[in-house]
Amino acid sequence: MVKLRQIDAYRWEIPREGKMRTRGLVFCSQEMLPSIQEDQSLQQVANVATLPGIVGASLAMPDIHWGYGFAIGGVAAFDPADGIVSPGGVGYDINCGVRLLRTRLAREQVECCIEDLVNTLFNHIPSGVGSRRKDFKLTASTLKKVLKDGARWAVKDGFGEAGDLAHIEAGGRIEGADPDLVSEFALNRGKDQLGTLGSGNHFVEVGYVDEIFDAPLAAQLGLFEGQVTAIVHTGSRGLGHQVCEDYIKVMLKASAKYGIELPDRQLCCAPLASPEGKNYLAAMAGAANFAFANRQMITHWVRESFEQVFQMGPRDLGLDLVYDVAHNIAKLETHTVEGARRKLCIHRKGATRAFPPHHPEVPEAYRETGQPVLIPGDMGRYSFVLVGTEKALTETFGRTCHGAGRRLSRHMAKKAAKGRSIVKELAERGIIVRGAGRATIDEEISEAYKDVAGVVEVVPGAGIAQKVARLKPLGVIKG
Amino acid sequence: MNVKNAEASPRPRRVGYRQIPHTADLAWRLWGENLPELFENAGRALSATLTDIRSLRRRKTRQVSLESSDREALLVDWLNHLLYLFDIDGFLGREFNVVSLTGERLKAWVKGEIFDASRHPMKTAVKAATFHNLEIVAGKDGWQATVVLDL
Repeated sequence: MVKLRQIDAYRWEIPREGKMRTRGLVFCSQEMLPSIQEDQSLQQVANVATLPGIVGASLAMPDIHWGYGFAIGGVAAFDPADGIVSPGGVGYDINCGVRLLRTRLAREQVECCIEDLVNTLFNHIPSGVGSRRKDFKLTASTLKKVLKDGARWAVKDGFGEAGDLAHIEAGGRIEGADPDLVSEFALNRGKDQLGTLGSGNHFVEVGYVDEIFDAPLAAQLGLFEGQVTAIVHTGSRGLGHQVCEDYIKVMLKASAKYGIELPDRQLCCAPLASPEGKNYLAAMAGAANFAFANRQMITHWVRESFEQVFQMGPRDLGLDLVYDVAHNIAKLETHTVEGARRKLCIHRKGATRAFPPHHPEVPEAYRETGQPVLIPGDMGRYSFVLVGTEKALTETFGRTCHGAGRRLSRHMAKKAAKGRSIVKELAERGIIVRGAGRATIDEEISEAYKDVAGVVEVVPGAGIAQKVARLKPLGVIKG
Repeated sequence: MNVKNAEASPRPRRVGYRQIPHTADLAWRLWGENLPELFENAGRALSATLTDIRSLRRRKTRQVSLESSDREALLVDWLNHLLYLFDIDGFLGREFNVVSLTGERLKAWVKGEIFDASRHPMKTAVKAATFHNLEIVAGKDGWQATVVLDL
């Protein structure tokens, strides 16, 4: 078992040992430890610590769980001169992320029509295993524009408003994307998947603000009690998966070429300064932009669905974007490390950026509050809105947790759901769920997940984000 | 969850694949009397994860030809290529035939059909096969592999 030393109530250290170049640092509570220690996630944190050029600790957020390569909830920074970049530190679903929309509607105004709204959303947004758009297929040249310009392309093409862009991480467009470094295979997979939800844990959820923890912050984020909200959670679909696969093959060779010793092949990587490393970052940026465009288009159909069901115009609905943030990405950022300003490549594999007030990358609207952080829970419980803090910036390179984390495997979840109608059970609790397949809904039952409230408690405790509001679901579409 | 607790049937041989516990994702144990059979079982396991494999008909054929650095990488590539075929036009295999297999090359054909949500139940979506804990080992009476899928 991996050794752990308690630092304080919410921080645990994996001491540097063997081939580790730095220590591991895990943010969690005493109560969460036993379940974290059951699987291989702490070993994965220690494995990441062996990679060349790592700066600071190999970090794990409170929702850490067993992934492949990096643990889910893993964050690691690398030096551009002697550090590496690893597709396994980003994952297959490049820029899987979440966005939150607010409305001017109060909960009472929508209660009449939730079922209608969920059905309309379900009809407008292709979802489920192998979902694709039948209404349009992108040409190769358009697809390349999407990869270069991300959500900006979508807005220019009529999906959403220019004002949306300011409320997306990196303005919805990661610089340096090179579509020519994305394979034909990847482009083929992406051409009719733009504007689709996919399956698994991806969803669109209509909910309401059920509790405010910090009234002034909530007001500045445009949130009020009883307000109807919408969350979109999806990523870069098959295009991103293929980019990851393609570059894992490149990196397996590169690791050998540059003499990088790997504790797990899924951690294969290349120096950031090498052609392989640079090419991966440029291709990854393309996939990340595809994901920003994907969420932007889905947002457009969410707005259309609301307009159709409530027979209201955009101004009255006020479906504004609060924020859109990536969970899986590697980005070059400038941070202060031991008093010195340094450029670093920060991997997040299932973590949310949580920049503090006045950080230059935080949009103008949130200069005083800090960047909004959205932490979705499972479909039966609640999600949380937080804001980034100064402490997150110094402790975790401005990162925090991203979700609840699974408690049961999908197999166990299906067993638990056997003989029950999950859709009916949720409907009795006032949550309308539509899924493309029964299997996904059963696999995604509430009890399959840890209570996200437990995860979110650790975050303000450790100071790596501040709680603003809690949202409860009213209607969900699942893939 | 304890990784040592097997969740599924203790008599998997006839099927050639079985799920083993992995909390966030999905892991398979695969068997084959020989390596081509193990790869064929991997293909069937993938189709069976995405839909009810018995609902698929043998209507179309896809030829697959792959090259990789070693046989473990080849197994990952094979599964990911089948996912690619599914992504580009919905093709899912019912019958898998590995024609030739060396440490670095695979040739196979797959018979199956285009996924149709009205006839084929949607089960679990798979993003990719990964290299995490990947291994192929020779046993007393054949071959065994472990592969973790990202869901």
